[in-house]
Amino acid sequence: MTSLLDGPTTAATPPDARSASPAKRRSPVTWVRRGGLTTLLFFLPLLFSFGFFAWFPIVRGIVMSVQQTNFVTDPAFVGLDNFAAVLADPVFPTAVGNTVLFTVLALLFGFPVPLLLSVVVAEFRRMRGFASVLAYLPVIIPPVAAVLLWKTFYDPRPDGLFNTVLGWFGAGPLAWLNDGGLALPAIVLQATWAGAGTATIIYIASLMTIRTELYEAAEIDGATVLRRFWHVTLPQLRNVIFVMLLLQLIGTFQIFTEPYIMTGGGPDNRTTSILLLIYRYAFLNGDYGKATALSLMLAIFLALLSIVYFRLTRRWSAS
Amino acid sequence: MKKQFGTRLIAGIAAGATLLTLSACSAGGQDSADGTTTITVSDLPGSDAPEARKIFLDRVAAFEKQHPDITVEPSETIWAADTFQAMLAGGTMPTVMGVPFTEMSGLIERGQVADISDAIDQDSVLGGLNENVQAVAQNAEGQTFGVPVAAYSMSLLYNRELFTAAGLDPDDPPTTWDEVREAAKTIEDKTDAQGFQTMTKDSTGGWILTTQSYSRGSELQALDGDTVTATVDNDATKQALEFYRTLRWDDDTLGSNFLLNWGDVNNAFAAGTVGMYVQGADVWDEVVTNLGMSADAVGIAPLPQSPDGLGTLGGGTVRVINPKATPEQVAAGLDWVEFLDFSKYTDETVAVDDAKATVADGASVGMPVVPVVDTDTYDQYLSWVDAEINVPREHFTAYIDSTTTLPIVPEPSVKAQELYAILDSVVQAVLTQEDASIDDLLAQAQKSAEALTAP
Repeated sequence: MTSLLDGPTTAATPPDARSASPAKRRSPVTWVRRGGLTTLLFFLPLLFSFGFFAWFPIVRGIVMSVQQTNFVTDPAFVGLDNFAAVLADPVFPTAVGNTVLFTVLALLFGFPVPLLLSVVVAEFRRMRGFASVLAYLPVIIPPVAAVLLWKTFYDPRPDGLFNTVLGWFGAGPLAWLNDGGLALPAIVLQATWAGAGTATIIYIASLMTIRTELYEAAEIDGATVLRRFWHVTLPQLRNVIFVMLLLQLIGTFQIFTEPYIMTGGGPDNRTTSILLLIYRYAFLNGDYGKATALSLMLAIFLALLSIVYFRLTRRWSAS
Repeated sequence: MKKQFGTRLIAGIAAGATLLTLSACSAGGQDSADGTTTITVSDLPGSDAPEARKIFLDRVAAFEKQHPDITVEPSETIWAADTFQAMLAGGTMPTVMGVPFTEMSGLIERGQVADISDAIDQDSVLGGLNENVQAVAQNAEGQTFGVPVAAYSMSLLYNRELFTAAGLDPDDPPTTWDEVREAAKTIEDKTDAQGFQTMTKDSTGGWILTTQSYSRGSELQALDGDTVTATVDNDATKQALEFYRTLRWDDDTLGSNFLLNWGDVNNAFAAGTVGMYVQGADVWDEVVTNLGMSADAVGIAPLPQSPDGLGTLGGGTVRVINPKATPEQVAAGLDWVEFLDFSKYTDETVAVDDAKATVADGASVGMPVVPVVDTDTYDQYLSWVDAEINVPREHFTAYIDSTTTLPIVPEPSVKAQELYAILDSVVQAVLTQEDASIDDLLAQAQKSAEALTAP
């Protein structure tokens, strides 16, 4: 399988392009004559924008992670002290544990929901557009407003919205966000509701590109709905699924808004995420060294995770 | 869809540093070649308070007339913990800025406010402030980093109407924590309201627990010479947590929501659903003017004390100077503070105009405060604005009397906000886990607090 994957990639590269060096192909004069200057001129704003607003701050962030600064006096180089301080923080393992648990729960519930929703919506003969709008509606609501709305739904009193519904079935009331064991799953539920719309729309768009002949052939062969989903839909969507899964993985590791607004990280740090901890370091404690150190650790971890993920899924993608 | 990677976060945090590099370390004002000193000042009232805004701008004009060598550029900038660092990094911190008492220890420790010890004229009004209050703007070595311009102390807020409905005397509020517990049970039994509530998140849980500890006899950090030691694991704090545990799990008078910040508790109190809570007395304007609670329903009592009680925790506003300000700007800034915040204590016209503008904007005059000047001067000020006083001061007579008798204990001197954040978790654990071990929680918090004070 690997040789199959490598084969076309190698063959697709023209031999002359690989052997010819840029210097041999064009001199500075020919570069200018062929419009190189104009290209550079158009490229400069982009280079400046990215360099100034993205790359330079990233580099500064890396530098700050080994410094102690108060933005008044010259920063002092402290080596890896900031990293050591983060690792020694008793809240750090809690935040990592919470974030991992959130990611697992969010993938467990949040990943299949939009996929199944999109398949259902795609089956609609009529009003598919309306159903798509309904699925996407939560995304249109500003995140802060949506989170505040859900916070109200989670009112722990017996007459809170969700507790009232539970009461109809003789259950509850639950403490929801005030219960250390329930708070994180409650946030996952809200995040799944809020994030499913975008993924659903992307899946629907991908589903529309699957050739109907495949389904017709499967039907003629007597495949049930489940078998058609398993043998036609999923394989046809696999590349989109890979990307969506990775994006969701990265997104869930950066959970911030929901715990920040709903619980402030409580009760007893049971919903404190890594990003919430970074926020506290930087904006409440004024310790930018620790904040950038933890940010860098998270970025490196996510980069490695992405690489591993791509390596693990490369075989299926290429098959 | 979420943006790419944690690099976004690094970029966000580092953007401040980038701006710092490019902003040429501005102090928010400058000294010009012609000898004029320019300062920027915070707290210009917004257009939602037109009278106060006009008065402020008139004061700027009057100050500039009195000090032709100083130019004042007012801005609507106000303190916010989560924007201050970026403001400092970006070089947009005004030369003179108002910050809450609670932030002073952190700002002093990080060197983010100017040392004004030598710039204060000891013979001026600023040199003769209430020492009890001035202490919040000083470090252990006695250096001064700000001028307190408004102060209050933590108190027991209670709903007078609920007290009456429950058969309690609103003119005789609880003075001990046992009485608070009994009153909470009575309110819970006799009305639809919740007896007591407390803040728990965004560092307010630790803030109130610290206040409670003071009232029961212990501070959370001990100062010995230059050495600060964490003393979180003490009997007073344990008693305070036991008090919470009893109200939550035995009496059930603390309600069901235990993720509450400053705004949440005020909203609940103003809505008339809560009998009592510990809060700064300055919250009057928030619950009455902004949240629409009936002025007659608000009662403010001194913070209840145990026999060993040390007093109460103080709060308020301190004017600080940008650490990058030039000596001329520091001097001009202090002149401005004296003119803006203290003229009303020495000039009757200023006092009356200021009070009239406040009333015209729908805000309160005569709120319960801890005077930052001496008692005689403050009483004189009150006599000047007597006709404009629009709060029923008779509803908090005991509190007003206590401002001169009940000691104000300063905040923990090292990393107070971080200490409060640690204690938030302790309070939340006690209120959400029936089997939480207070001893274990305090032992763990002590360890974390020791890390904060470690050299």
